[in-house]
Amino acid sequence: MSIEVNGKSIETDEDGYLKDLNDWTEDVAKALSVTEDVEMSEQHWAIVRFLREYYAEYQIAPMVKILTKEIAKKEGMDKKDASKYLYDLFPSGPAKQACKIAGLPKPTGCV
Amino acid sequence: MNVRKTDIGCPDYKQFLPPVILENYGKWDYHEIPRPGVMLHVGESGDKLWSVRVGSPRLLSVKSILYFCDIADKYCDGFLRFTSRSNVEFMTVHEANIEPMIKELEGEGWPVGGTANSASNVIHTQGWVHCHTSATDASGLVKCVMDELYDDFTHHSLPGRMKLAVACCLNMCGAVHASDIAILGIHRRPPKVQKENLAKYCEVPTTIAACPTGAIRADILNGEKTLQINESQCMYCGACYTACPKLPIADALNDGLSIWVGGKCANARSVPRFTKLVVPFIPNNPPRWPEVVDAVRTIVNVYKAHGKPWERLADMIDRIGWARFFKLTGFEFTKYHIDDYKLATKSYNASTHLRF
Amino acid sequence: MSNPSSETPLLDELLKGRWPSFVKEMKEMADTKPMVRDVLRQLEKSYVDKKTHWKHGGIVGVKGYGGGIIGRYSDSPEEFPGAAHFHTVRVNQPAGWFYNTQALRDLCEIFDKYGSGLTNMHGSTGDIILLGTTTDELEPIFSALTEKGWDLGGSGSALRTPSCCVGPARCEWAMFDCLDICHDITHHYQDEIHRPAFPYKFKIKVSGCPNDCVSSIARADFSIIGTWRDHIRVNDEEMTRYVANGRNPINDAVLLCPTRAIEWDGKKIKIDNENCVRCMQCINAYPRAIKPGLDRGATILIGAKAPIVQGALFSSVLVPFMKIEEPYDEVKELLESIWDVWDDHGENKERIGELVERMGKGEFLEKIGIAPDVQMVIHPRENPYIFYDEFYEEEDDATANK
Repeated sequence: MSIEVNGKSIETDEDGYLKDLNDWTEDVAKALSVTEDVEMSEQHWAIVRFLREYYAEYQIAPMVKILTKEIAKKEGMDKKDASKYLYDLFPSGPAKQACKIAGLPKPTGCV
Repeated sequence: MNVRKTDIGCPDYKQFLPPVILENYGKWDYHEIPRPGVMLHVGESGDKLWSVRVGSPRLLSVKSILYFCDIADKYCDGFLRFTSRSNVEFMTVHEANIEPMIKELEGEGWPVGGTANSASNVIHTQGWVHCHTSATDASGLVKCVMDELYDDFTHHSLPGRMKLAVACCLNMCGAVHASDIAILGIHRRPPKVQKENLAKYCEVPTTIAACPTGAIRADILNGEKTLQINESQCMYCGACYTACPKLPIADALNDGLSIWVGGKCANARSVPRFTKLVVPFIPNNPPRWPEVVDAVRTIVNVYKAHGKPWERLADMIDRIGWARFFKLTGFEFTKYHIDDYKLATKSYNASTHLRF
Repeated sequence: MSNPSSETPLLDELLKGRWPSFVKEMKEMADTKPMVRDVLRQLEKSYVDKKTHWKHGGIVGVKGYGGGIIGRYSDSPEEFPGAAHFHTVRVNQPAGWFYNTQALRDLCEIFDKYGSGLTNMHGSTGDIILLGTTTDELEPIFSALTEKGWDLGGSGSALRTPSCCVGPARCEWAMFDCLDICHDITHHYQDEIHRPAFPYKFKIKVSGCPNDCVSSIARADFSIIGTWRDHIRVNDEEMTRYVANGRNPINDAVLLCPTRAIEWDGKKIKIDNENCVRCMQCINAYPRAIKPGLDRGATILIGAKAPIVQGALFSSVLVPFMKIEEPYDEVKELLESIWDVWDDHGENKERIGELVERMGKGEFLEKIGIAPDVQMVIHPRENPYIFYDEFYEEEDDATANK
């Protein structure tokens, strides 16, 4: 599978995650957001930026609880509201959808 | 478009309870097992409810489920339930329905049994049918083992309850670690690290943290982060493969089965305990896995011959000792049987209590 | 098209024998569904190759949920195009796994229409499993399920679908309403089930008595197991009747009692209740003559798991006795205090049992605000490596209580 961005074909896996994380650009993120039916706002970008910065520092995606705490702190919400805020922005879930748009590796494990 | 419903939770169980259960809910007095596969529950009110237990392969087509519905409509006023071990239970207040219902079910190939001191249906996992980490096929093993133990499922032929389980890898999506007899799919070689582009597919720190023995270390290949495995430290659990697809561990030549006994969950008599290793390795031999079936038959025969009434396999081994168990079964005791993981010394015999 | 049965000679061997065959179940659907036919052909290949042909992972779902669907893809989609996508849908079972036929027929119709028509009744955690559908069918199947009153279960780092034994619906030994608390907790924690936000999975299993028919002590992070505090009830006449029918309570109860707490002199049952450990043996053996007491509740235990990663654990005692009564606030407060500590201290993919092990149970108890109780351990510590919190400073009067 692949997506077209600025005339360039970018490879994705069957779930739509980038095969090469180095392919990520803001335009790629926009294209991925279209496949996910997500309209990117400044709030979306803030989360994408947080995920990428966290990944650059630790080479792992933050646990959802860390993302939720970060938002709770930044937006002055409690954890429940922060979780709702995240799912309002990324209806398929922060781990699955926000990480995909942010160009992070696919989350693993069903067990 | 309809409003999209979410978070409605499971349906209310009360609508699925037959009237006799609603009337006697929490007020059952006692039960009996008039024959293998049939339970009679008697309420304080004197009401009686018979349940007929039928073994299923767990993997059921909708056609079979609809067949069960037909039976339940015909004999059970349209109610039925499933058990935690994938049996189907047909409940009726009409004693006269029992024999014709059993006849009809057995006529269609559905075994009636699994109660009291019979062999239970086998808790199992997805295996090659539907799992990416499996070292074997759970459904196939269950089929072969239960073909062999069929008469022990349909008869009260054992000293006590015997609960069986199959798990297709060490993740053990079932209670393999606390069953009377457990068959466990295992790997015997370290994952083959696909070093190139590894960090594009998985999180390096998460994968390092997934290893229980600390055998995985970061490495650099062509200027990019990747992983290496200290093979002498790997005990083939596969936890790293769950974290990272670039560490495939399946190996047709070396994957296979191990057999464990003497676990239990119930608190009756002795406390719950884990299964213990008796056969370290049997190669995968589909489609009928005859060596596994033989080993299970051997264990069941020893249990039948030496277990006392009510004793679970673990209780029997407590009494006769592991030395005699290995002697009676003929299984070889090897260095693999001696624990070398955390707290292994707890399993060393630090006494002169020995049997000769 | 060739006859599907000839494509799977090894699997056909599993059509033989007396136990019901899963291959037969699959073949019945393969006749009308190319998807199932390809899954069977792929399975046949696994039987030849002796390895799985499912690819690693797979992340799919429905909108608004972080779990409930397990993505599954074939590693050979060109060879088995029907098996290319074969995702699992976990549907939250009703408490106690009771159904009426109308509800099951509805489910069958949905599974047949939107998927393979193959199920697991049930998955290890307790959910109704639809084995196999495609990405495109996920939203439609979810709408069809919710329309009929069904919802998805848990997956990933979330509260997994709680499950319970048959309980007071059909068992005289249920010490509280297992079905009701299971249903209540499931509904109370929908967000925790559907939107994974824990360090790792968390399972709750409810057993009505120490026989533990859902293996709660071996498989649940949070085990609720029924027990009683007062005296066992005995009925000497019923026991006399058992004896008249050939039963021998010396063999079936007295000699099997782990603490020698029961006696039978041929006329009367005598129980040393202070020494009874509520193991159930005498009650199991003589349901009409020996019954649990009436001051009923549950023991709460914490931390069971399978081996991955740090080794298998059983749950161990956290609260020796708790009354289990609607609206179950005490259970919920305890659960939430555990989740808070896990949230603050748990590492990625660390089960609660592993956290308790890493942190030490004493420290964990302090964090969740529960006092240590000697019944939480088999015996007191054997080693002298004690982390003392309290000590004297030079200027303290060592004889005074600090």
